[in-house]
Amino acid sequence: MHERLSFYIQRNSPIHRLNPLTKLTLVFALVLISFFSPWYWTSLCLILLVVFPLTVIGQVGREFFAAALRLLVPVTGFIFIMQSLFLPGGETLLFRFWFLRVSLESVARAFLISTRIFGMVSSFILLLLTTHPSELMTDLTRRGLPGTVAYVIISTLQILPQMQAKAQTIIAAQRSRGLEVEGSLIRRVRALVPLVGPLVFGSLVEVEERAIAIEARAFSATLPKTSYREITDTSFDRTARWLMVGLVVLSLVVRILG
Amino acid sequence: MPIINLQHVTYRYPMTEQPALEDLSLQMDEGEFVAVIGPNGAGKSTLCYTIAGFIPYFFKGELEGTVEVAGVESRQASLEQRVRSVGLVFQNPFNQISGAKYTVFEEIAFGLENLGVNREEMPARVERAMALTGITDLAERSPYALSGGQQQRVALASILVMEPRVLVLDEPTSQLDPVGTREVFEVIRNLAQRGMTVLMVEHKLEWVAAFADRVIALENGRILAEGAPAEVLTDERLLEHHFGFSRYTLAAREARKEALWPPSRRLPVTLEEAEAGFREGLGWS
Repeated sequence: MHERLSFYIQRNSPIHRLNPLTKLTLVFALVLISFFSPWYWTSLCLILLVVFPLTVIGQVGREFFAAALRLLVPVTGFIFIMQSLFLPGGETLLFRFWFLRVSLESVARAFLISTRIFGMVSSFILLLLTTHPSELMTDLTRRGLPGTVAYVIISTLQILPQMQAKAQTIIAAQRSRGLEVEGSLIRRVRALVPLVGPLVFGSLVEVEERAIAIEARAFSATLPKTSYREITDTSFDRTARWLMVGLVVLSLVVRILG
Repeated sequence: MPIINLQHVTYRYPMTEQPALEDLSLQMDEGEFVAVIGPNGAGKSTLCYTIAGFIPYFFKGELEGTVEVAGVESRQASLEQRVRSVGLVFQNPFNQISGAKYTVFEEIAFGLENLGVNREEMPARVERAMALTGITDLAERSPYALSGGQQQRVALASILVMEPRVLVLDEPTSQLDPVGTREVFEVIRNLAQRGMTVLMVEHKLEWVAAFADRVIALENGRILAEGAPAEVLTDERLLEHHFGFSRYTLAAREARKEALWPPSRRLPVTLEEAEAGFREGLGWS
């Protein structure tokens, strides 16, 4: 069973020491720039020249490439092939096979779309690998994100694996009483029905108890909250964030004018 | 002045006719250990929630009578005031873990963060709470990767760290295995010896007898019997009302029918009392 739903890898790297908001800004900057830029190679360049080096500096290169190979390469590869084959139009015909018609333009479009998706997801993976979820939330709360929102996000991350484990227990219990969970698709779907009741109603009861438990620890007190975790925000962080905002604006301007 | 003062308290949950507590009056002095026993639906948890201020603040419904904790009427108290005067720990250890923190240390500090305590003050207070509950070596573990007994002690530490004046424990061991139960009771014994004011709902009568200064037997939202543990826990009315006796009390009660229990002795509640009585009754020294 997973202890928690988190990709975070603890390392002592310069990337880990960055302020969480700086890394979040970086992710959004990368995504926006690659979408604004009209140039076909922007996303690939950002991946190769920014995201990859940062994962190495962050000492999470191996974990990053493992995740990229397992998740990203198959998905973006599939998108690339499908888009190349089925995007309509295009002047320069590359080849024709049966009813499929592949043009240079459709391949270029497919390349653009799949590298954008690759870049977007891989920069999020970089953020998740190097940023502790509770650090991100603490920092955002300090900057004005409502405490309740932060609590919902972070507790969901922790409680989901527990719910998954409970679902497994309920399935095992139902199976031991003869419920069939294998076989045809319809049979599998039908097997889910007796799972829903105990899981949903059980969780509702738990929600009330958990609400009482956090209220017993003054969760909705109106006092200004403090935080045990101290999160550094250096002048380097602030400069980097403004620089990235500047680059995004610049790429937008180029897009509009160009 | 009593630290807890309930006068003629009647409470109904929303959309119910039958009161969960009915004309209940109870006082507790500082440093006192009161145990509450009673069958399911007797109003034990309701009593805990009332003292901790969750009734009517969280559960709504209608509350009549006076509920005063540390001299403050609970309906007038703010959440901070209520949390600082009464700490509440209940059955399910898993549901008391906030889910917001990744280490035991930070889990315990959660309440202090909500109360706006300076972060410089936190380490010493968290260390103290961990020492009191014997979980110092778990500080860096995930609160989810612990046994039930450990989790319940984390829950206890998370409340103690806020230094409430009264501790309310609602069946703190009912979901634990024997090892976890013993771990938690050792902590509670330690707290009782330090003079903590405790109200504990508990079914394990041997432990109740070992800790409590006073026992309250609750039934249908009313107090059925109240007094010293040895008196209340051997009161025949408890059997008539299906509360049950501890196995030592039951054994001695059977023995008394066969004249094997010394007639001068009261029925025992704990193992030690039973042993002494049987030795005397059987003529062993």
